[in-house]
Amino acid sequence: MLEIEDLKVHFPIGRDSAVRAVDGISLSLGAGERVGLVGESGSGKSTVGKAALRLLSPTSGRIKIAGVDITKAQGKALRHVRRKAQMIFQDPHSSLNPRMTIFRSVAEPLILHTRIRGRALNGQVAALLERVGLPGQFLHRFPHELSGGQKQRVCIARALALDPTLLVLDEPTSALDVSVQAQILEFLKELHGQRPDMTSLFISHDLAVVRFLCSRVAVMYLGRIVEEGTTEQVFAAPQHPYTRALLSAVPLPQGRQSGNRIRLTGDIPSPANPPSGCPFHPRCPEAIAGVCDVMEPVFEQSGAGTSVRCHLLTRNAA
Amino acid sequence: MSDPILSIRDMRLEFDTFDGVYKAIDGVSLNVAPGEALGLVGETGCGKSVLTRAAFGLVPSPPARITSGEVLFGGRDLLSLREKQLRSIRGAQVAMIFQDPMTYLNPVFKVGTQLVDAIIAQQKGAIARRAARDLALEMLDKVHLPNPQRQFDSYPHELSGGMRQRVLIAMALAAKPKLLIADEPTTALDVTVQAQILDLIAELVSELGLSVIMISHDLGVVAQVCNRVAVMYAGQIVEDAPVADIFDNPKHPYTLGLLKAIPHPLRPVEHLAGIPGSLPNLYTPPTGCRFADRCSHAVPVCTDGKPPLMDLGAGHRVACTLYRKEHVDA
Ligand SMILES: Nc1ncnc2c1ncn2[C@@H]1O[C@H](COP(=O)(O)OP(=O)(O)OP(=O)(O)O)[C@@H](O)[C@H]1O
Ligand SMILES: Nc1ncnc2c1ncn2[C@@H]1O[C@H](COP(=O)(O)OP(=O)(O)OP(=O)(O)O)[C@@H](O)[C@H]1O
Ligand SMILES: [Mg+2]
Ligand SMILES: [Mg+2]
Repeated sequence: MLEIEDLKVHFPIGRDSAVRAVDGISLSLGAGERVGLVGESGSGKSTVGKAALRLLSPTSGRIKIAGVDITKAQGKALRHVRRKAQMIFQDPHSSLNPRMTIFRSVAEPLILHTRIRGRALNGQVAALLERVGLPGQFLHRFPHELSGGQKQRVCIARALALDPTLLVLDEPTSALDVSVQAQILEFLKELHGQRPDMTSLFISHDLAVVRFLCSRVAVMYLGRIVEEGTTEQVFAAPQHPYTRALLSAVPLPQGRQSGNRIRLTGDIPSPANPPSGCPFHPRCPEAIAGVCDVMEPVFEQSGAGTSVRCHLLTRNAA
Repeated sequence: MSDPILSIRDMRLEFDTFDGVYKAIDGVSLNVAPGEALGLVGETGCGKSVLTRAAFGLVPSPPARITSGEVLFGGRDLLSLREKQLRSIRGAQVAMIFQDPMTYLNPVFKVGTQLVDAIIAQQKGAIARRAARDLALEMLDKVHLPNPQRQFDSYPHELSGGMRQRVLIAMALAAKPKLLIADEPTTALDVTVQAQILDLIAELVSELGLSVIMISHDLGVVAQVCNRVAVMYAGQIVEDAPVADIFDNPKHPYTLGLLKAIPHPLRPVEHLAGIPGSLPNLYTPPTGCRFADRCSHAVPVCTDGKPPLMDLGAGHRVACTLYRKEHVDA
């Protein structure tokens, strides 16, 4: 359904340097698959999501949706894609039009792309909002009259209005409390059950959310995927030291930390000036001097069944 | 116990909207002791942001109207102060980090310029631009922003969500405030950066005796940073207890539901236990317990009148009929 091949997105800064936000990512989602994309803040997750739907233009690489190459698509072809492919943006505050009521925001895609009008339109919009837990009392509100989580639910309803076959959800439940999050996640799971073709790329830093919803997960660090596998594999036996740190840092309620938290030291490197060798080596607790800081690791199959980009793998295998 | 640094008493607030008067906050009282980190949790839309913003005059009126209450901070009732006096308290003694970072950064100015201007305003001009610039860079470094020098010259849209949030945290902490109000400060951050930011806040609490109100949906975050937790539901406080008590000995059925809904990050789960239903309509709020229609323990008296916050001892308070003395004894 979605194929991303060696995607690079570089943002130029000044004359001769660039932020390598996404630096060679390949990811493919079969029809009906739910794939999670996790990773450090600033690692390029949102940029991958936006490029996948051509909301920004890739520097190089290829993107195919349902077999159609849209890397260079424009105008009508792009509009056609967007009808069936929707993105829920990370920041619900700036992705709603401040001058539109909630009703209008959710109705807009239906008005633009379908012939549904009048009573049928009212009914459909109300039903969508009901599904995400926003009852009628909010229909006439403007975005500034809603709480953060209420706005986020409006964005979810709007993205689902046209029955998309491909969804990119960028931190879709970050503004919701756990009980509403549970409702929304159950709803999304149910929706996938009813529509076996619907494909989702789920961007989140909440590992619990990804674990619940996704069958496969890719972990990003500084513009690259460092580990990829089934959710079970990655959670049960994380191979990359960054994935291990990520899993160990999850705060658990009751204040009980998940075993021993691996504290990452050192600064997060800037994607404008990535470190030599493995980009994670300056912060890696297990870095091998003379190897990790010099050579870039390649993506290989680990014993646990995941694909990992790390020198430790070859070393441990030897 | 020492006097609270912040004391909100019986605050009520309404909004005028197209559909009528929306009664967002209904009789909330809350104390924060010096050096205490209070967690404020509750269902999306229950009034956490409005309550904390209104206390410091940040909810515009109209459409909002505070119909009763007092907010005591440093011995003064903030609700009686003028905008100018409030502004100086907000800048220097109270720092706020908000939920929506983009709204608080101006897209047309560079991050550094905004940070420097904020610092100069915080110190009421008593700092030279150069020194403000140094402090700004130091703060950016402190919140672990990579390459502070470059971010300093970036525009907000060039930063990732998490980086923007760190800029705002740097801005808030530069003033060395007495009270920090952090509204979902780490939602945009991944767990490793979140852990660093929480460490940073904990460091400031212990070193500077900073008091904190931390609004968060992540009960794990609350458990890590806070000593006490207040649980809100539909504009009221329903439970208030030391942090360990909230997790080990929760009383209010809503708190119980909230705890059950947490997806376990490290274990596979088939189904999540949400709380069926949604917040009551606050144009016409229920006269009894506001959670009653979603509560599996509800009995007929629950709809009879608002249950008061009852003291269960050891700093644990709950507003639920089930814990009324006559019930417990019967
Ligand atoms: N328009 C832009 N111009 C320049 N740099 C940009 C732009 N958009 C993003 N970047 C940079 O690209 C990198 C990746 O950003 P992105 O928003 O994709 O990260 P992310 O993984 O989604 O992070 P977060 O979890 O914080 O949302 C960051 O270093 C960011 O500063
Ligand atoms: N300007 C306004 N006009 C009308 N109603 C408003 C306005 N601002 C907020 N509200 C309502 O007040 C209630 C409380 O909002 P608030 O933002 O405090 O919620 P919250 O607890 O912070 O939620 P979240 O966790 O989603 O951020 C919500 O139901 C919201 O719709
Ligand atoms: Mg992002
Ligand atoms: Mg809020």
